[in-house]
Amino acid sequence: MTDVSSSPDEPNATAGTGIDTTVPHSARIWNYWLGGKDNYAVDRAAGDQFSAIYPGIVDIARADRAFLGRVVRYLAGEAGVRQFLDVGTGLPTADNTHEVAQRVVPESRIVYVDNDPLVLAHARALLASSPEGSTHYVDANMADPGKVLQEAARWLDLTQPVGLTFMGVLGHVIDHDEARSIVTGLLEGLPSGSYLAINDSVNTSEELEEALRVYEASGAVPYRTRSVEQFVGYFDGLDLVEPGVVLVDDWRPDPGVGRGPEIPQMGGVGRKK
Amino acid sequence: MSTVQRDGRPSVNGPGPTVPRLMLGIQLHRLREAAGITPDQAGYEIRASRSKISRMENGQVRFKERDVTDLLTLYGVTDEQTRATLVALAKQANTPGWWSRYGDVMADWFEAYLGLETAASVIRTFELQFVNGLFQTEDYARAVTMLGHTSAPAAEIDRRVSLRLGRQDILTGLNPPQVWSVLDEGALRRPVGGIAVMRAQLKRLAEMARLRHVTIQVVPFSRGGHTAAGGSFTVLRFSQPEVPDVVYIEQLTSALYLDKHEDVDHYMEVVNHLSTEALTPAQSVKFISEIIRDM
Repeated sequence: MTDVSSSPDEPNATAGTGIDTTVPHSARIWNYWLGGKDNYAVDRAAGDQFSAIYPGIVDIARADRAFLGRVVRYLAGEAGVRQFLDVGTGLPTADNTHEVAQRVVPESRIVYVDNDPLVLAHARALLASSPEGSTHYVDANMADPGKVLQEAARWLDLTQPVGLTFMGVLGHVIDHDEARSIVTGLLEGLPSGSYLAINDSVNTSEELEEALRVYEASGAVPYRTRSVEQFVGYFDGLDLVEPGVVLVDDWRPDPGVGRGPEIPQMGGVGRKK
Repeated sequence: MSTVQRDGRPSVNGPGPTVPRLMLGIQLHRLREAAGITPDQAGYEIRASRSKISRMENGQVRFKERDVTDLLTLYGVTDEQTRATLVALAKQANTPGWWSRYGDVMADWFEAYLGLETAASVIRTFELQFVNGLFQTEDYARAVTMLGHTSAPAAEIDRRVSLRLGRQDILTGLNPPQVWSVLDEGALRRPVGGIAVMRAQLKRLAEMARLRHVTIQVVPFSRGGHTAAGGSFTVLRFSQPEVPDVVYIEQLTSALYLDKHEDVDHYMEVVNHLSTEALTPAQSVKFISEIIRDM
């Protein structure tokens, strides 16, 4: 197989982000852990190697999806948010952001942001909007909040509240200060009454850290956990939605749903003043 | 669960026998391995060969209810509920598909494909020469059919065209599959059936692209060197997590089905490369409109 590298004269190609099937790919491994079929041998091997060191990763994958579902349902329902900016789309799975939001309010408008060509191709083909609402895809790197906002403004009314979500993606930004500036840069472009929702892993499990070190050595895009204080700090200056920044399973659990195994995965939702 | 329409023919909205066959086959394989029984021993139990066992486990044949119950006993499956579930699956696996009435104009290998296509939840195709059968107009379908059957009588051509168009009912059923079709520009430029037929076909293609569950992407000549040097193929995905993707490659007188991980991986890589190399769905619709305008 030859790698298809993007050439700079292609308008919708991002330089250097062709599909590489020789190294594990984050979105495809998450798809594997979630029981999906959009993964290759290299991803399954890396996923198995990871879970051999840290079996809880499969629980994390499931808990993250469940958290995303509860957050978006809360935002579209109780909080009355009608527009969503979902940063780091991932490969389509069950209950994607627009499906959850449009189930609550069919008119919901969603913009997905990713710069991975495989993710974008899947999203454009398979994440179809409800007829009443809209779903759009922005090919941009979240490290450039100005460009993300400029593109999002083509589809969202940025004078009205927006639900900004980063689900398990900020850990891919190695430097914590840069991750923070991405969050604040995007929030600055959104009006008062907008919401920020984040989840990511924190550094309280030695097994998870070891699994991440091995994963990084495979050539995959690294993922870094944050300290609990760093994670909580993402929400500085915002009004926290109850119950605050907590382990994801403790964030407004659905009645009757048992708590999964303990995992170092935190989540929270804050409202811009 | 099979649904039958009032005129007695099976409905396309019914799942057909293919996926139940695959699912039952996968289960029987697992149970046999768990019981440590060889294909020869299993074949002996039901008065059949080891290759019959292998065809059953690959979901390629009909299942006799008695064979299934005998095998379950041999494999030590005594739980009544499990047995009942698998026997019910065997019954579904024998329901005739909607295509069964086209036996006269249909090769066995194509019958198998229709079974899979009808049951799929996602259909991904790459087309090098022709617009996919699911999107063809009647005139275009007739022109393509006549290319392959130059000396066939008119009545046979009619039957073949009608079979081809019958496949399109899955797009308007209650629970349509997601169809994601990548076409080479050549498939849009070749005037199959003449300019008028081709123009109508391209208009149909642009209309189909508006459907929520249809995605059309064009690989223009200007993005050459794409990875499908091997030609057209289809990847079928099923909603059941235990049923693997199937790759279908049509040849002149037969077809190739691949469902082994390493083979499917390879074709998934190719179709993923093509999808990222192709114009986006929105650009593709514009591109098709421009071709229509220039004709």
